[in-house]
Parts: sequence; C-alpha cells; structure tokens
Amino acid sequence: MKISYNWLKDYINLKLSPEELKDRMTFAGIEVEAVEQLGKNLKQIKIAKVVKFEQHPNAEKLSVCLVDDGTETKQVICGAPNCKNDIKVAFAGIGTQIQDFIIKKAKLRGELSFGMLCSESELGISTDHDGIMILPEDAPIGTDLASYLGLEDTCYDVEITPNRPDLLGIIGVARDLSALLELPLTLPESKLNASNEPIEDHLSLENKVPELCTRYTARMIKNVEVKDSPDWLKKKLISVGLRPINNVVDITNFVMMEFGHPLHAFDYSLINEKKIIVRSAKENEEFPALDEVTYKLKPEDVVIADENRAIALAGIIGGENSHITSSTKDIVIEAANFLYSSIRKTAGRMNISTDSSYRFERDITDEVAEFASIRACELILEIAGGELLKGKLDSFPTKKGLRKVSIRPSRAKKILSIEISPKQIIEYLTALGLNITKESEDNLEFEIPYYRKDLTREIDLIEEVIRLNGYNNVPTFLKSQNIMNKPVFFARRKIENLLVNYGFSEVVNWNFGDPKDLDKLKVNANDKRRDFAKLKNPLGESFSIMRSMLLPSLLKNALHNINHGQKNFRIFELKKVFTRKNEKLATEKLHLTGLLCGELNPVYWKDNSKQLDFYDVKGITEDILAELKLKNCEYQGSEEPYYQPGMGVDVTISGRLIASLGKIDPKIAVKFDINLPVFAIDIDLETIFTMDLFQDHVFEIIPKFPPVLRDVSFIIAKEHKYADIIETMRKAGKNVISKIVLFDEFAGKNIKDGFHSLTFSLVFSSDTKTLTDEYINNILKKVIKALINSYNTEMR
Amino acid sequence: MKEELNKVVVSAKTEIIEAKYMHELMLLKSRYIGKKSILNNFMQKIGSLSKEERPAFGQTLNIAKNQISQLIADQEEKIKELDYNTTLRSESIDLSMPGRKRAKGSLHPITKVWREIEDIFMSMGFEVAEGPDVEDEYHNFDALNTPQDHPARELSDTFYLDDDVLLRTQTSTVQIRTMENHSLPIKIISPGSCYRNENDASHSPMFHQVEALLVDEGVTFTDLRDMLNIFVKEMFGDKIESRIRPHFFPFTEPSAEIDIVCVKCYGEGCNLCKGSGWLEMGGAGLVDPNVLEKLGIDSEKYTGYAFGLGMDRIAMLKYKIPDMRLLFENDIRFLKQFS
Repeated sequence: MKISYNWLKDYINLKLSPEELKDRMTFAGIEVEAVEQLGKNLKQIKIAKVVKFEQHPNAEKLSVCLVDDGTETKQVICGAPNCKNDIKVAFAGIGTQIQDFIIKKAKLRGELSFGMLCSESELGISTDHDGIMILPEDAPIGTDLASYLGLEDTCYDVEITPNRPDLLGIIGVARDLSALLELPLTLPESKLNASNEPIEDHLSLENKVPELCTRYTARMIKNVEVKDSPDWLKKKLISVGLRPINNVVDITNFVMMEFGHPLHAFDYSLINEKKIIVRSAKENEEFPALDEVTYKLKPEDVVIADENRAIALAGIIGGENSHITSSTKDIVIEAANFLYSSIRKTAGRMNISTDSSYRFERDITDEVAEFASIRACELILEIAGGELLKGKLDSFPTKKGLRKVSIRPSRAKKILSIEISPKQIIEYLTALGLNITKESEDNLEFEIPYYRKDLTREIDLIEEVIRLNGYNNVPTFLKSQNIMNKPVFFARRKIENLLVNYGFSEVVNWNFGDPKDLDKLKVNANDKRRDFAKLKNPLGESFSIMRSMLLPSLLKNALHNINHGQKNFRIFELKKVFTRKNEKLATEKLHLTGLLCGELNPVYWKDNSKQLDFYDVKGITEDILAELKLKNCEYQGSEEPYYQPGMGVDVTISGRLIASLGKIDPKIAVKFDINLPVFAIDIDLETIFTMDLFQDHVFEIIPKFPPVLRDVSFIIAKEHKYADIIETMRKAGKNVISKIVLFDEFAGKNIKDGFHSLTFSLVFSSDTKTLTDEYINNILKKVIKALINSYNTEMR
Repeated sequence: MKEELNKVVVSAKTEIIEAKYMHELMLLKSRYIGKKSILNNFMQKIGSLSKEERPAFGQTLNIAKNQISQLIADQEEKIKELDYNTTLRSESIDLSMPGRKRAKGSLHPITKVWREIEDIFMSMGFEVAEGPDVEDEYHNFDALNTPQDHPARELSDTFYLDDDVLLRTQTSTVQIRTMENHSLPIKIISPGSCYRNENDASHSPMFHQVEALLVDEGVTFTDLRDMLNIFVKEMFGDKIESRIRPHFFPFTEPSAEIDIVCVKCYGEGCNLCKGSGWLEMGGAGLVDPNVLEKLGIDSEKYTGYAFGLGMDRIAMLKYKIPDMRLLFENDIRFLKQFS
C-alpha cells in the first residue's frame, strides 16, 4: 500500500525526516518496501511564458512559439490546439526526461524546436491530454513545476501484515505513529447538514445475505455537479499513485485512503425501481464491470443489485451500468462491509485485484463504514455541491459490543525481560486507542477499539507493548564463548573420516614410548625428537618417555597384526607427540601417522590383485592435503632416515616441513621384526593448523564454452622430472591449458635405454571464446617447441 | 498396369516381412517407396493412361504406397524389439556374484564414543576445551583443592616428570585453565587422555576421560541432575536411568558418584553389575567454592557444576567389550568391527 509523507502530516505533526520516518515505521512493524521521491521528474519542468505565437509555415496543425523560461527565450514547435500567445505553460527544455523519453533538439517540418510544452497527462498530473497545461497568469516564470504545484513529497510503499487491517488507511498508520512517536493525532471531524427530505422516500434497501454482507449503508445526495476535482484533491491522489477521475469518484478514493475503507458511488437515476438489493449472484449471471469486462457470476458471489440487474460486484468492482458520469445528478454513496473470505474467493476466481478488494479481503471493520460514509458526504457537499437527504439506509445485522482484554504487568515483564511499570503499559496501550476499564493489583483491563480486531488475548497486548517499547531495546545476555577452535576441531574429524574412507582403521596406543625406538629408526642424535619428555617413575624402560613419534607404535601394531595372520591393513593414529627440553611443561604437537601394508584393493573376481606402491600412498597424502585446502605444496626427496633411499618424500610449504611419506626402509622394518613392504605417511597437523587454510569455497564461473581435449606423446630422457615437464607445458600453454593429465608411461620395447615414452592429455578451455582447431594447433606447436628446446626429447 | 502393381505389392509384402536386419529393411524401403523406387516409377507412368483411368489408378497407387509404408514401419518396430532382446541376452549376468567394494576403515571405539559425547554436549551449547597432558602440580592438585598430603599426589599414584610436573590424572585441569583464561559464563567439556600409575586387568596407566563444567549465575544441583539424566539417555538410550550418591571429591561440594541402570540387564541384576542392577559411571558435584575463590571468582554470585566420566568405560559398556586390554591392542580384527 502506498502512503505519502505529506498526507500523514495532515493528522500528525511529524518532526522526523522522510528518511527517519522510514526506519521508524519499519521497526514498528510497518515494513517500508520502497521509497519514491515524488515530483522529482517535475523538478526539471519550468514555468514559461509564450511571448510569440505564429502559425507554422509548413504545417496547418502546428504553431511556432517563442517561450521565455526566465533565463532565455527559445523557439518551440507546438501542436496543441489551446496554445496561444501570452499564456503561462509547463516547459520541458532539452535534456528533460518526460515519462520514457528525453527531449532533444528537433526539426519539425523545417522549423527547429528547443523543447516541449507539456500536457497534464504527459506530466502524469491528470488524464487530460486535450491540450497543453495552462497555468494561472500569476505563476512565476522560471520556477520549477514541482515546487509551484506543491507536488514534492515522499511516497512509501509499505507492506501491511494480514493481522492489521486497521493500517490499510493513512489515518490508521498515523494512529500507530502517534503512539510510537508520542505525538497527538488530529482526525478530521465531519458534520453533515441534511435537507428535510428523508432518503426513504427515494430509495429502499434489502440485505438478503446478512452473513456475507455484514454492513450496508447508503446515503443519497441530489443535484451534485460532477466535474474535475480541485487541485489539492488531485495532488493527494497522485501522491499515493491513484489517478484523478472526477470529483465524486476522487472523493470516494480519497476517503478510502484516509480510513482504509472502500466506498462506492452510484448514479441514482440508473438504479431501477429505486431499490438496492444485496444478494447472491445467480448461476451464470452476467455482470458488465467498470473495467469493460463482462464477468460470469456464480451463486457464491455477492452482488449489489436493483430489481432487474446487478449494479456492482460487492466489494470488488462497480458496474458499467450505474457508475458516475459527467451527466450524473443524483448519487448514492455506499459504505459497506463484506465477509473477507467471500471477497477473496470471488476476486481470486476472477483474477481481479482492486484497491477495494485488497482491503475487503483483509477483514476490515463494520463500524468504519459509517465514519467513511459521513466523511465522503461532507466532502461531496463541499466540493460537488448538492443536497444531502435526511438519514441513511443501514443494514447492520450482527452488531458486536467492544471486547475487553486484560494484561498482567508481571506477565509482560516476565515474557519480555524488560523493566516496565503498569503506568507505562497504560500509556502505550491508550496511545493506540485502547481504553483502560479496570485497574487492580497486577491486572489491567482494556476495552479494545473496534478497529483493532487483532487484539483478542493478553499475549496480543504484550506484543503491542514490546512493539512500542522497541524490539531491539530488549536486553540480550548470551554471547558465544569462542573457547574452542571450531575450524581445527572439524578439520580433524574430516581427515579422520577421509582416512576411514580410504580403508584405514584408527589405532589408539598409550602415549608412553621407548627411547630405543628412535635408535632403530636411525633418528639423528641432534634431532629435536630426541628431546624426550622423560618420566621419573615409569612403568618400565620401554615406557619411560612420552612418545615423540607415533611411527614406532604403529610399527608395533603392524607386527602384532602380521603375527596374527593379517597382512593387508591400513592403520592410522592421530595423537599428540611430546618433547621437552628447557620448557617447564612439554611441547605437545598433534601428529597424524599412517601405516599401509599389503594390497591396494580387496580381492575382487574381475580384477588382478595389485600390491600397494609409492604412488598409491602419495595419492592418499595428496588427497589429505587437498582436503585441508593446502596450496603450493612442494615435494622433494625426504631427509627422514627411515625411508628406503629414493622412496621417501618430504612435503613443504614455503620451506616448512608439513608431511613426509614413503616406503619404510626394509633394513629398518626388520628391526621391528617386519619382513613385508610397509609404507608410512606422517603429517604434522600442529604446523598445518597454524596456517591460514580454512577459507570457505568461493564459486568460480563455469566456462561457457566446451573444453577441447588433445593428446601429446613424446619420448624423453628419464632424468627429466615430471614436475618440470608439466611446468614447461603449462607455461607454454599460457592460460588456455586448464588441465594436464599424464595418462601413459612406458619404457623398453622400441625405446632406447634411459628414455621413456610419456603421453599427456591436455584440456584446453577458455572463458571468452570457442577455441578453434587452428588456435589450439598453434598452442600445441608452442608446447612441443618448448619441450624440444628444454629437454632431451623427441615427438612421436 | 494395375496387375503389375498388384504383383509388386505382393512381392514387397513378402520381402518386408522376411527382413531380419535394419539395413535390409532400409534397402527395401528405398527400393519400393524411395525417390527412385518402383512405386515412384508407376507414378511417372500415370501420364500414359487415359484421362478416365488416371484418378482410379492414382488412388490404387496411393493405397499401395500407404500399405507398404505401414508394413515397413511395423517391421521396423519388430526388428528393434528383436535387437533389444538380443542385447538383453548378450548382456545377461549372474546377479548373485559379489559387487565391487572398497576396503572400509574404522574409527577406534574410544573415538566413536568421544565424538558422540562431543556431539551431545555441543548440541546443548557446550564447547570443547583442551589442555596439556603434561601438567604442573598446581593445575592438577592445588587449584582443585587437593590437600598437600593427599595420597593421589604420591609417586605410586601419579607419573612425574619433575617434582612439580606430572601427567594429569584427570581432565579437570582444563577447567582451571579455561576459567583462568576466559570470562564467565563458561560451559565446556574437556575430553582427553589421563594417566595414573597403575596397570592391571581393570586399570590402564593411560585412559580417557571427559569432564563437563558449567559456571554461571544461578547454577543449581537440579541443573547437574538434569544434564546427567539427559546425557545418560542420549548416550545409552531412553531406558537407562541415572542416580547420584553422596561421595567425596576435593574439588566439589556437595560431591556425588553417578550410577546408571545396568546396560546389560536393565536393573534385573547380572554378572556385569554384580547383581546390583546399577553401574558406576563417574563423579559429579557442585564446584567447591574454594576452587572458584582461588580463581578470583565470587562464589556467592557464581555457582557451577562439574562431572567426569570415563570414556573407555563408556565404550566398553556401549559396545559390550569384555576386556579393557582389547582397546589398546589394536588388533585389526577388533578395530574393523567398528566400521
């Protein structure tokens, strides 16, 4: 629903700026979805005077005018019939935006035009497009139209929640704001002067569906003059996005915007037999509506009818057969209310949404119909003239009394956790229009005004209290502790899960260690891992230190299992290791050590069995490091003494050792009584966890163009390392090669000694273009050239 | 000409019905109804007929063409169905042969219990705190209100690295360290390894314990009982009730021992619970005001509860592991049972 800042000011003396008001409304539960600065487009339109008016030499319907906009005089070609010399006009100069187009210098039938004289419809002020807008003689030249017409305003598009039909009018919003901002509310006071002629002499009413039409009032005014509305009324309607039509219709719309209660006006002369009947529609009854569509009705729809035909679809849209026209003299003003669910059903089925149905669907109040009716009649008499007949026709079948609801201040305090006095509660609720009717120890009873249908229980009143107090003024106590390092905690679980999925079983060993184990592993005398955390009173020599390495324990576990006939296994332990030199306590570091023995996969009838090899273990390590999102890992020959020479690798990041892997030197394995090939992985999680690695995934654009695959095969001296070869290809392939996969290697047959054949699959992809064969061949040539230049190689 | 056409239709019908392969059928299609087909040939000959004969022959020709097209379409369906059946036969397999599996590993039963405990407490707003295994005497004993001459401090009970540096005998040390370093309220569990100088069939020199600690304004004995009840049911199931009995710990007052209904006999009495129907689970209590005051916490304003449970014992009860030594033997046949 649209409401305007200036209009709100009619009822409440706002001191907040339009921007501040937006926030206050939103935090009071009236969510502002959009804000529009009105009059912005009219700011560029200037008041100008036509100082010379001549017939266009080459066009009968055009005129050539000179206009003075206060700064200079410009030639403008105009086609309006009402344009003449010496009038004040709305002038749009070059560069001004009118609706969707921008005014440019133009040549019309040979004459230059430096702007445009605008009509009211072009300016969006009214539907009048018969000619240009002519301003009063005293309109000051050079002033912009927005300030002259007072059309500068802020329009808010607000979302009214379904529990608050009282906010469907600007007065309702003003009432809420008056409570919120503690400002007095000024409501329009209406007085009606009626003639002595009773309405009953001219019109009768029959409500045949009291359960669907909960109120129907009709008043009648004779001899109105239907014409354009006065400017102030037009402006009001425009400010909330409504188009002015004529004074009577505009007034009904104005009052709807004020009270949130839709009204309808009928042309009395078109009501047959002078009787209004509220009834269910007949099956397939045809109704010609104001939107120039004829609707087919069903008995579930409610119509306002005369003796012969439907003249309005109740609460939704008026009839083509009875609406106000410029020739209308006598009018009937309807102010009614209908069952919201019935209106919703009919409007939904017909797929119509009007300002009227929007409100009636939201369960508005029977009582407001009367206020709206009086207000509308008063304005019609004032603006359109005429005589109001005495009395009204009124069907109000189920009039309800005002509801009373109690609130316990102690309960409000308990639920809201705020300090609030009974006095404050009374102040809040009376500001919303509730009346205190009883006040006793911890019990306040309020009479709920008819327009607040949503307040039925204590908890509803408590909600109002906190809404006015401010949701965000409620204290909060909880804070997150931030004791644990959650990324590390979950990274650890992730690695454990990954290993389990790779077939590893977790072992748990005592943290005691045997210093002799490090001798067996040939660990250097000056290695830090020999700074043992020694126990004073150990269980025995072989438990005399806190472990500084996990590997010996795992080798012992391996032996236990081999001795029990288990030769295919993968085990890991993720635990602290300890060293102690000068520190008071010990240095405790989290390590992960894995040990692998036996076959790559479980025996399967379709496959040949394969013993684990170095690359299997390397792949697992790479996967773990990838799981931790570690980048720029470098692999080089290991310095650990316990790997078989040439079969161990250290992994570093910027020179820091984070992991090693390899085949345990058989000479060392034997010292642990193991005669099978075993492989080990050791990862220094403590060091890794100090690195910045827990970044969230960031989406990367998926290339639009399909990738292109090419293979390249060559014979190359074995001394050249794969890592270097791939780097060479990558550099030569610039950014177009997105992936290089080694898919074959062989030596021997037909290949000279010291050489082997490598086949790579290259994936070319680009974000910006489809890669042509020619382009790819070119890149491929560069790659091959780079290989030949750098290595002892020949292409196949 | 009409007779000629009839002959062609008859032979086409026979040939189409006998076609067994798609390529054969396609040849027939082009021979009879394709661009340079026999029927098209007839079409061109229509011109040689008299004006009167033309419409009738044209109609007959059309009917013939439609018939043949229909036959070809039907035969096409038949051949497709035959091909499909051939595929089914050639791809038929013994569905009872084993599927391809990967070797599955396993987490150690202690880790499984450890994680489950973390998850239960974390879902209730506790955080997991850690501390060193190698501790000083202050955090392990003094700060926990343990008297100087307490037997637990002796070499026969506790492993020492130096006179005042030792292997923690309980993870309560982490509570002290957390309260030293973080502001209240504190709501943590501290799982970890602990050590005591004993090694027999029912005692391991290294074992795993978890302690829970909540210190805040208004923490009561009820909060302790609630948390214990909830934890035990989450861990062992709804049937398992818990109770507490008066006991003594230097760092809690009132102190209690926790029992749970025997997980084997559900309280009937069996060899596991030695006929009592209850199993001892650990210790609990409200944090001794002395402990709080030593840390500079106003024990009038703040109260707290703490309890400690043996994770190895929980694992043994939960998974019905009869001997504690199995937990540290790391036999792959034992470990794989927990995959």
